[in-house]
Amino acid sequence: MTTPVRPKTLFIGLALLCVLAIWLSLALGPVSLPLLDTLRAALRLMGLPIDPQGLEQAELILGQIRLPRTLLGLAVGGVLALSGVAMQGLFRNPLADPGLVGVSSGAALGAAVAIVGGSLFGGLPDAVGPYLLSLCAFLGGLGVTALVYRLGRRNGQTHVATMLLAGIALTALAGSAVGLFTYLADDATLRTLTFWNLGSLNGASYSRLWPLLLVSAAVALWLPRRAKALNALLLGESEAGHLGIDVEGLKRELVFCTALGVGAAVAAAGMIGFVGLVVPHLVRLLAGPDHRVLLPASILAGASLLLFADLVARLALAPAELPIGIVTAFIGAPFFLYLLLRGRA
Amino acid sequence: MRLCTSAIALVVGLLVNPGAHASELPQRWVSAGGALTEWVAALGGESTLVGVDTTSQHPESVKALPSIGYQRQLSAEGILSLRPQVLIGTEEMGPPPVLAQVRGAGVQVEMFSAQPDLPTLKGNLEHLGKLLGNEAKARQLFSGYEQALNQQKSALVKAQSTQQAPGVLLLLGHAGGKPLIAGKDTAAYWLLQQAGGHNLATHTGYKPFSAESLAGLSPDVLVFADRALTGEAARAALFKENPILAATPAAKNGRVVELDPTLLVGGLGPRLPQSLVKLSAGFYPSQAESAP
Repeated sequence: MTTPVRPKTLFIGLALLCVLAIWLSLALGPVSLPLLDTLRAALRLMGLPIDPQGLEQAELILGQIRLPRTLLGLAVGGVLALSGVAMQGLFRNPLADPGLVGVSSGAALGAAVAIVGGSLFGGLPDAVGPYLLSLCAFLGGLGVTALVYRLGRRNGQTHVATMLLAGIALTALAGSAVGLFTYLADDATLRTLTFWNLGSLNGASYSRLWPLLLVSAAVALWLPRRAKALNALLLGESEAGHLGIDVEGLKRELVFCTALGVGAAVAAAGMIGFVGLVVPHLVRLLAGPDHRVLLPASILAGASLLLFADLVARLALAPAELPIGIVTAFIGAPFFLYLLLRGRA
Repeated sequence: MRLCTSAIALVVGLLVNPGAHASELPQRWVSAGGALTEWVAALGGESTLVGVDTTSQHPESVKALPSIGYQRQLSAEGILSLRPQVLIGTEEMGPPPVLAQVRGAGVQVEMFSAQPDLPTLKGNLEHLGKLLGNEAKARQLFSGYEQALNQQKSALVKAQSTQQAPGVLLLLGHAGGKPLIAGKDTAAYWLLQQAGGHNLATHTGYKPFSAESLAGLSPDVLVFADRALTGEAARAALFKENPILAATPAAKNGRVVELDPTLLVGGLGPRLPQSLVKLSAGFYPSQAESAP
C-alpha cells in the first residue's frame, strides 16, 4: 500500500474535521437556535464576558445538553478507535476489534445483571442507584477481559492465539448468560436492555462524564507512547523481542488499556459497534500502517466520526432519537464488507 | 403576534371553561404515556397536545403529532424543540438524566402512576383535571368509569354464581407468529382476572410457550392480542402459525376473543371498561345473551 497522505497533512485535516464536528455538534439539534446566539452562548460558556440578555435558552441547551453530549461523543469515539488500533496491533489482524478480548460482552453481561437484577438492589443508597448500570458494565468488561487474559497465559507467556479463542468462547458464554437474563426480564426491562445494546449519547450529564474523561485522557496519553513497540510487534513477537521490546509487558498494557478505555466508554454510552473496527482501517488507508501516526490520528478520526453519527442519530427522527449504534453499524457494516471483498480481489 | 395568540387562547379558554384561569394553564403539552394521552383527549385537552410518544396510539388523531420516541428513551432536546410547558408520563418515563434536563429547562414534568387500580386513577384524573382546568369533567369521567366497572363487576358476580370461571390463556403475538403467553405480574393478567377469567399460565411476565405444555393446559377460552393484524385476519394467522392451538377446547368451541394490545400499556385507560365487558361476555357466553 502506498502512503498517499503525509502525516502532517493528515493531522491538519483531521484536526479541522474534528473542530468542524465539534462545532456542528454544538450548533445543530432538534431545537433550532440562531447561529449568532449559539456563537455568543458558546463564547459565554468559555468564560468571555458577554451580555446574557436573551441568551438563557441558548445557554441552557448548549451548556446542559449539547456540550456534555459533545464531550461524551469525543471521549467515546476517541477511546473506541484507539482501542481498535491496540487490538489490531496486538492480534496482528486487521479484523480485530475491542470486542475480541471480551470487554464488550463482559460489559453487556454486567449491564444485563444491573438492568434485570436492578430491583434486587432496590435498597441501595441514592448516590449509587443511578450509577449501578455503568458500574456493573465497567466491572463486567474488566472482569471478562481479565479472565480472557488469564486463560491466554501459559508458562509466564501470553499466547495471542489462545487468548483469541478464549475471547470467542467467553463471548459466547457471556452471550448466553445475557440471553438468559433477557428471558427472565419483564417487558419494561427488556426494552431498556435492548436500547442499551444499541448505545446512545442521549442524556449525557457532567456527573457521569468526568470518570470517562479521566480514563480516556489517560489511555489517550499512554497508548501513543507505545507506537514504536507496536510497529516492532507487526514484524512478529520474537522479532519484536530481538529488537529489545518487552513483548509480554506490551501485551499486558494493550489489554489493560483496552479493557479500561472500552469499559468506561461502554459504561457511559452503552454498546456502540464498528467504530473500533472501522476507524483504524480508514486511517490506515489514508496514512499507512505506522503506529506513530495511526494511534493519534485514530483518536481524532474516531471522535469526529462518532460526533457525525450522533448528529444523524439526533436529527434523523427529531423530536425522537435514533440509537447511535444503529447509525454506526449502518455505516460500518457496508464498509467492512467492502474491505473483505477488496482483500479477495 | 404572541400577544394576539395568547389573547385568543384566553378568550377561548374563558368561553369553554368559565371560572378557570385559562391564561395560567399550560397550553402546550407533551404526553409520554398511552393511557394518559387518551385521558387528556377525553378531558378535552387534545388540542393542547404538541407531541406524543410511541405508546400513544389513541385517539387516532394523535398519530399525526410529532413523535418523541419511546417513553423510556426520550431525548431532552427533541422534547424541548416542541416548546412544551408540561411533560406528562408514567413512572416508566425516562431516562432520568433526560427528565432532569427537561426540568432544568423550565418544563413542568408531571409523573403519574401506572398502577392499575381505581384510587390511583382517581388521583391521576384529579391531577390531570386540575392541570387542564377542567376538574368537573375529570370528576364526572371518573364516576362514570367507576360506575361502568362496578356494573361489569356485579354482572360478573351474577354470572359466576351459575358458571365456573373458564380457564383462559392470553396470547400476545405479531401477525400470528411465535405468540407470547401472558403470565403473572402483567397488565394482561390483571385484565383477565377483572373480566372473570382464570389464567392458566403460572409463569411471570410474557413468555414464549412450548407446544407440549400448551396441550396439557386445555384452555376454555383463548384471548389474542395481535400487534400487526386485527379481526379475522389475526385469528386466521394465529391458527395457521400455531396448529397446536386448533386442538384446544377453546378453538373447538369457537371461544376465541380478540383484545386490543394497546390496552396492555400504561395503566387504566378510558377504553378499559368496554373491553372488560367484551372479555366477560366471551368468558360467560350465556350471561351475555341474557343481558339486555
